[in-house]
Amino acid sequence: MIYIKFLNITLIVTFIFSFNVNALEYKLYGLVQPEFSIFTNGDGKHHQSKNNYSFFTKGNFISYLDERDAKITISVIARYDEKDSERRYIDFQKLKYEQYFENYTFKIGNEIIFWGVNESFNIIDIINQSNLAEDMTGTKKLGQPLLSLAYDNNYGTIDLYLMPYFIERKFPSKNGRPRLALEVDQNSITYESSSKEQKLDFALRYSMVYDDYDIGVAHFYGNNRAPQLDINPSTLKFNPHYTTLSQTSLDIQATKGAWLYKLEALSAKDGNERHLGVAGGFEYTFYGIRDSQSDLGLVIEYSFDDRNSYPFNNDSVAALRWTKNDINSTSLLAGMFIDMRGNSNRFIAEYEQRINNNVKLFIDATFNGSIDSQDFTYAFEEDSVFSIKLAKYF
Amino acid sequence: MYKCLLILIFLISVNTNLLSEDNFEKGLRIAKESYESTRGYVDSESDQLMILVDPKGNEVIREISGKTLENDDPNDGDKSIIFFNKPKDVEGTVMLSHTHVNDDDDQWLYLPALGRVKRISSSNKSGSFMGSEIAFEDFSGNDYRKYEWKFIGEEEYEGEICYKLVSIPKYKNSGYTKRIGFTDKLLRPRMIEYFDRKGELLKTLYFEDYQLYNDKIWNADTFKVVNHQNKNKTIYKWINRELNVGINKKDFEKSSLLRLAD
Repeated sequence: MIYIKFLNITLIVTFIFSFNVNALEYKLYGLVQPEFSIFTNGDGKHHQSKNNYSFFTKGNFISYLDERDAKITISVIARYDEKDSERRYIDFQKLKYEQYFENYTFKIGNEIIFWGVNESFNIIDIINQSNLAEDMTGTKKLGQPLLSLAYDNNYGTIDLYLMPYFIERKFPSKNGRPRLALEVDQNSITYESSSKEQKLDFALRYSMVYDDYDIGVAHFYGNNRAPQLDINPSTLKFNPHYTTLSQTSLDIQATKGAWLYKLEALSAKDGNERHLGVAGGFEYTFYGIRDSQSDLGLVIEYSFDDRNSYPFNNDSVAALRWTKNDINSTSLLAGMFIDMRGNSNRFIAEYEQRINNNVKLFIDATFNGSIDSQDFTYAFEEDSVFSIKLAKYF
Repeated sequence: MYKCLLILIFLISVNTNLLSEDNFEKGLRIAKESYESTRGYVDSESDQLMILVDPKGNEVIREISGKTLENDDPNDGDKSIIFFNKPKDVEGTVMLSHTHVNDDDDQWLYLPALGRVKRISSSNKSGSFMGSEIAFEDFSGNDYRKYEWKFIGEEEYEGEICYKLVSIPKYKNSGYTKRIGFTDKLLRPRMIEYFDRKGELLKTLYFEDYQLYNDKIWNADTFKVVNHQNKNKTIYKWINRELNVGINKKDFEKSSLLRLAD
């Protein structure tokens, strides 16, 4: 993997310098972000520390070539974490070269591709691997090396992706907080496919806009991004096993005034078993509440899956998002996740506001309410946390 | 004789028509002519700078760049793309709008942190644009089809005799009950006072730095907005504006957002 990344960089650097650098049209921006977390239950179930500091940074370089018919993008993130060695990493989210033709776009390199319409239950999003060391909900992704060709006309867009190299899921280490009940042994990974991480994954997506509807249909065939975690009785660690997944999905959003209606559905063959998943809901915004500039948005989503093992097989989320629409873009999101089967619940709150043109403050809180001992989140029952982050943009 | 009579009747009726143009019709005619004098720009490209000033005089800067495409269909609205550059935390965000005259606009937002294009609701037309004193609906404030008009006389404004027009938004969720504005004899809006939902004076928009583009279209390169209630000010400047640049129409489709975004 490191070899591939090195090759990528060498290629792109060579490419950039083969042009006259003075004539290069480029943008460079990013952020540095110190973070501090306090766990309100004291020391953790797995003897993790009750506080933690961390440092995150992101840099973006974008350069246009060939009279804007080609583009090079580098977007790199890195983190240093005091306690969790799996949270000390560098990832090239984007490291790509794109060439545009009238109806075609060709792309090569690392990329982040998002599929879906939901706010919380992004069940059909499959191209990129999740970085659970960053965030247990799986919304933080790792860059995926790929080749892609997009064709678009008046009827919509067809995207074809070939993924020659698999990126393994990242989990928190044994000192990470939250973490799973057992440590994940990244040295004991197995695959259903004999090509292992070199399996050529493939995806096709058709998307279109029809009036108030945004519609997508997709198929993915390749290594499942989510591994089975099997307990190794001799080491008492989880051994990840990546099955081969063949997934067909549909996503629709209807935008009707202040209402957004959302639906994601999939049918997939994972190893030898077929499963079905449906997730969706709505978003409604009250604008200018009480004659102020503030908006209040309501998001309600539900997720169903016919597998017993899937964490979000009968789960819902309800959240309120308050945006003040002031000079500092102050906003507060407060939500509740409910596992309707096991009666577990979790509360989250995310506050943010700009301090000045280049500095933004984030305060996040997660409170675990009652958690069923059968639920996978039982492992982080005692990991209620306050985090404060200060981002300085450049 | 019979023919003469017909012509006479015809002439009388024409005259009556002209004479009977009431103040509503006159208001609509001026507003329509004013709007039509800004058409034919084909497409445009510009950088835009916003200075937000609070009552203490503290200033905050916003920077965006934008492209617009005139709709060939006179019964539909224009299309636009906005690239956000400052404040730095929204750098890389892109907004695509397909505006409509009598319907909600279609809007998509590209969110760089998630690599995601999201269709968003556009029914908050009365909402603030980037924390400024300018509302989304103010950008299409010159479209005569969105208001009921009435001409209420001629008055001097900054040394020029101007038409004084009252306009009432047709849009039911508008933040305003009424606007009173001055339009000069070159059909350029010069100043508009906005009255809020309670009917009280909310803000005044001054159109400044008029430039004649491509020898035919007058555009105000500065909007100055003074809010009389919260005492904030917004100065909105168009820089490097160019009309009829030949932008590819495909740039204004959802499928091009990922191409145009960082």
